[in-house]
Amino acid sequence: MNGKIRIALAGNSNVGKSVIFNYLTGLNQHIGNWPGKTVEKAEGSFRFRGHEISVIDLPGIYSLSTYSIEETVTREYIAKEKPDVVINVVDASVLERNLFFTLQLIEMGRPMIIALNQIDTAEKKGIRIDHKKLGKILGIPVIPTIAVKGTGIYDIAEKAVELSGSGRKPKTIKYGDEFERGIQKIVKALKGFRSDYPPRWLAIKLLENDSEIVRMVLKNAPDAAKEAGKISGEIESIHKHSCPTAVTCEKYAAANRIATQVQKQTKKKGETLAERIHDVSTDKIWGYPVMILIILATFFSVFTFGDFFSAAIEDLLMGFLHLLEAQTGGGIILEFILGLLEGVISAITVILPYILPFYLILGILENSGYLSRMAFLMDNVMHKIGLHGKAFIPLMMGYGCNVPACLGCRIMETHRERMIAIFVTTLIPCAAVTAVILGLVARFVSVWWAIGLYLIDIAIVFALGRIAFRVLPGEPSGLIMEVHSLRMPDIKTTLKQTWFRTKDFVYIALPIIVAGTVLIRIASSAGMLATISELMSPVTVAWLGLPVVTGIALIFGTLKKEMTLVMLAVLFGTTDFASVMTPVQMIVFAFVTMLYIPCAATIAALVRETGWKRGLFITLFNIVFAIVAGGIFFRALSMFM
Amino acid sequence: MTSENVEEYLEIMYRMKEKGIMPTTITVARELGISPASVSEMLVKLAKAGYIKHTPYRGATLTAKGEKIGKNILSKHRTIEKFLNKIGFPKNKSHEQACEMEHVVSDELERVIRNHMDHRKNIKKKGIIFLDDLERGMKARIVSIESGRMAKRRMEEMGLTPGTEIKIGRKAPAGGPVEVCVRGSCLVIGRGLAKKVIVEI
Repeated sequence: MNGKIRIALAGNSNVGKSVIFNYLTGLNQHIGNWPGKTVEKAEGSFRFRGHEISVIDLPGIYSLSTYSIEETVTREYIAKEKPDVVINVVDASVLERNLFFTLQLIEMGRPMIIALNQIDTAEKKGIRIDHKKLGKILGIPVIPTIAVKGTGIYDIAEKAVELSGSGRKPKTIKYGDEFERGIQKIVKALKGFRSDYPPRWLAIKLLENDSEIVRMVLKNAPDAAKEAGKISGEIESIHKHSCPTAVTCEKYAAANRIATQVQKQTKKKGETLAERIHDVSTDKIWGYPVMILIILATFFSVFTFGDFFSAAIEDLLMGFLHLLEAQTGGGIILEFILGLLEGVISAITVILPYILPFYLILGILENSGYLSRMAFLMDNVMHKIGLHGKAFIPLMMGYGCNVPACLGCRIMETHRERMIAIFVTTLIPCAAVTAVILGLVARFVSVWWAIGLYLIDIAIVFALGRIAFRVLPGEPSGLIMEVHSLRMPDIKTTLKQTWFRTKDFVYIALPIIVAGTVLIRIASSAGMLATISELMSPVTVAWLGLPVVTGIALIFGTLKKEMTLVMLAVLFGTTDFASVMTPVQMIVFAFVTMLYIPCAATIAALVRETGWKRGLFITLFNIVFAIVAGGIFFRALSMFM
Repeated sequence: MTSENVEEYLEIMYRMKEKGIMPTTITVARELGISPASVSEMLVKLAKAGYIKHTPYRGATLTAKGEKIGKNILSKHRTIEKFLNKIGFPKNKSHEQACEMEHVVSDELERVIRNHMDHRKNIKKKGIIFLDDLERGMKARIVSIESGRMAKRRMEEMGLTPGTEIKIGRKAPAGGPVEVCVRGSCLVIGRGLAKKVIVEI
């Protein structure tokens, strides 16, 4: 058979799915979104023995219910798109938990392969697994793999091709008699009801009281739903727990039974290094200084590296641009072309020196498993704004750049929490704002005022976060996550991740930065900027107490926040800001720059993650809030400075 | 005193607000299972009485006055329904029964019932232990989870099913999360959720 084969990778998070995906597809992949959903969709393809094989990397999840958007996406994909083979990536060192998900995948009724991954880690923990026996019990080919080393990947591809033609489905894993009888009855009642889902899976979901499935069945096959309700009652009276709980118990019991049959626990070889690092990184006392040190080291290295390279690249490219400018005359078309070039250059000077290394370090922290330790340490703090510990990760990223922070909010499970998290990240001063605060306030007023601005910002984040938490409808959810053992991150996967994330950043940021630069350049050559800043003067001068020219600087700042300082120097014709602005003006200016608008690239990211309406609402809110708060701040400062 | 019908409307609209659904003639009619025409008429009345703000074809929002009543009735409904379930009233009928009772139960009676039902207080007296009471290194067995439906389901799906043996790992300071080792791996559970998991040693 020489045709297209479609395979899907499924499994818990952090089991090495992406590593296997990368091995299979190389660079031939595409990262996008699931249609209409803000869930990452990774697709790729490769050729193997004359077959064109397309691969989809499904999100990492623990169950096929509807707790998160990721779970819904996964089950709908498998049911509707019916991939030829589902490859279930299983972490051999946590077999029981992973099998719980495997059992649910089996019930989806697609041909399956199990990639028993990280067998080396399992062995270090003293766990040995008889993979042949496991395969026999489940009726699924099981292939031991060590994805980071590429071991077993070839066999996966081979088995996938072999299996795709046969259509061989896994065995049905039987539960206790009372469940099986009930499932049979419901399946019978479901006869004649056509859906994408297999009847047995539907029957089990009805017993789990899965709201989406119940609604669907109630509408089309009310008898089956009634039958399920009756059986639920019977099961409840036997098990003395609610039926969904009993079903989950039963599944875990099956997973446990299979796991104990196939795995042998030998004596562990003492405490591993990873465990010792884990102990320190989550310690009541040591955990926090370690975390702060890691965060500071991250930003310090990104900034020093970035400043150096950014200056070098800018000197080089801008020099070239100025040469071009001097060679040619004026004219709107020329301004347009120069604007395009300048926009591209200014995007490059941000992306290459700052964003790329930032993503790289973040990827290392993420893949080593350290970020979940941060969530553990910061959970109670984040609860103050109605979010749980995971939200600390995008918030921290925000201090580097708001764009990845905004995209990083996908880590939150519910829509509501995503919105709150995204909203507060736009208030975090990014690296560019830090440049303004350091270059203006720390340098010409005092370091304490610079630190003060950060503290004020944190207070604002908490206050507004709390309000958002109160205003948005819905219940807050708590932190539930698996902590994986710390490990060396896989270099190839991390590099590829960095590459794709950077590419994504370029897609979001480049068009809007270039368009904005062109627009401003044309406006400035037409002499419109002075008029605009005059128009802004009631706000900038009368309300905020700033010099008139700051209006122009603030307009430029919408593209990149550090442009405010650059433009200020150009407009004043000096970098000694103390000679042209009072300390109060400098502090207020930095304050407004910090809050007044998420930069153009962030707005683009906002729109992508939250839609036009919410994105623009958040943007407008920031503008209004910064102006109102800035004016009050100015008056308060004027009283004692 | 407000009429039962008014209370019913305000309750349903408050419930919709909680869920994040915009109450319009159509959606309210669907929730109540009656015709949009009669809903539309009622919404006009409610708006006149100052319980809601109503823009035809757009939707309705509760005023502070309306929200207070809606919230109060919904809270009574939930308390009664829980109480009925607890004393063994058939589960499939308790919702309907509560719908009728919610209008006659006074605030005081609701408070008394709620105090009576307060799991934590009651159970503490009887010496039952919650997950967050355990210290590092202690072993225990899960008895049940007394949280909201979603969180309960989530925790069970992550392996914290009744009867499961667990071991407590680290606890983050100042009310931070608890590390729970279960089924060969470690989970982190927020303190708020850990407070709702009943265990036995």
